[in-house]
Amino acid sequence: MNSQLIDQLGLRLGANGLPYEIPMHPQLVHLTLGLFIISILFDITGAISPIERPIFKFLGLPAIRSAFFHVGWYNLLGAAAVTFFTVAFGFFELLLTKPIVNQKSNWGLSVSWTMLLHGLGGILMLAIIVAMAVWRALQRHYWHKNASRQVQWNYLLIGILMFGILYFHGTLGAQLGEEFGIHVTAAKLLQEGANPYLLLK
Amino acid sequence: MLALPLNSQNLPYSDPIHPIVVHFVIAMVFFSFVCDVVGYFTGNARLFEVGFWNMFVGAIAIFAAIIFGQFEAGLAQVYPAAQPILNFHTVMGWLLGVIVAAITACRVVIRNHNPLKLPPAYLGVATFLICLGVIQVYLGSKLFWVYGLHVKPVVEAIKQGISP
Repeated sequence: MNSQLIDQLGLRLGANGLPYEIPMHPQLVHLTLGLFIISILFDITGAISPIERPIFKFLGLPAIRSAFFHVGWYNLLGAAAVTFFTVAFGFFELLLTKPIVNQKSNWGLSVSWTMLLHGLGGILMLAIIVAMAVWRALQRHYWHKNASRQVQWNYLLIGILMFGILYFHGTLGAQLGEEFGIHVTAAKLLQEGANPYLLLK
Repeated sequence: MLALPLNSQNLPYSDPIHPIVVHFVIAMVFFSFVCDVVGYFTGNARLFEVGFWNMFVGAIAIFAAIIFGQFEAGLAQVYPAAQPILNFHTVMGWLLGVIVAAITACRVVIRNHNPLKLPPAYLGVATFLICLGVIQVYLGSKLFWVYGLHVKPVVEAIKQGISP
């Protein structure tokens, strides 16, 4: 947003353009990605359980197949809950950006396209993660309640496809910080012509 | 002397890897604690299994995080203001590596003994780990989001001679 609109909010913003020292969205992203990816990996581990059994035997770790599906389910539930906050903070911090406009990312995208794709992508990711959590709940509590393999192969395939989509989506977000320097205090100070090495303590 | 071709963020590859690997340390260690606490107070023992496996993944991931962290810290243009934070983050990283490995080892023993019970002492130690974890995440975030290590405009400014 432009300066006037941001000022209208009446927030006390620091040098990084945020009302707090470090952005919250990237912190929540750790949780969304970690929980989602490990959820799918444990469901895969559960689904192909007979194959990897010798590995856990070798490690001397008792591994119960149903426990892998517990991890798959609870981690996904955690991911779905946390992602609402990830997206909410993402939009709040996206609205407070005043980036340098005359640069292109590694992928040849302008900052506005990167912001637009990452913003819309975030809504899509939230929708897919929540939809997968509902799908996963139906498999766990109704369709495959007493089956030894709790998840459908289709579900795991979509999960793996999501890894690919999340890679692109995550890289767009990373580029906003690491290439365009959005909400990076030192980069903002440089943009304003100040010397961050003297100002930062 | 081996010369690595470095990009505009002073890295030999397109994006820093340490912040990606730490997803699996932060999310897993924190979620493990949440599951253990909820499991303890609700008596839902299956949450202890979820807590155990998440900590197990965290224990593997933390060593990958330390290796990439050391590598990328070595390539960062650390200026005097950022140096103490990086030192603190480095020492704390190794310390957490040891603590997470030790806690996971204890957990394996506890789980082998009785997977349906979790001693309150374990939760106490895990609470301490979570406190250290919060500090560590804050320090790491500061290095990137405040000091701009491996952030393109900051790297370029230093290369162009803006110096401390």
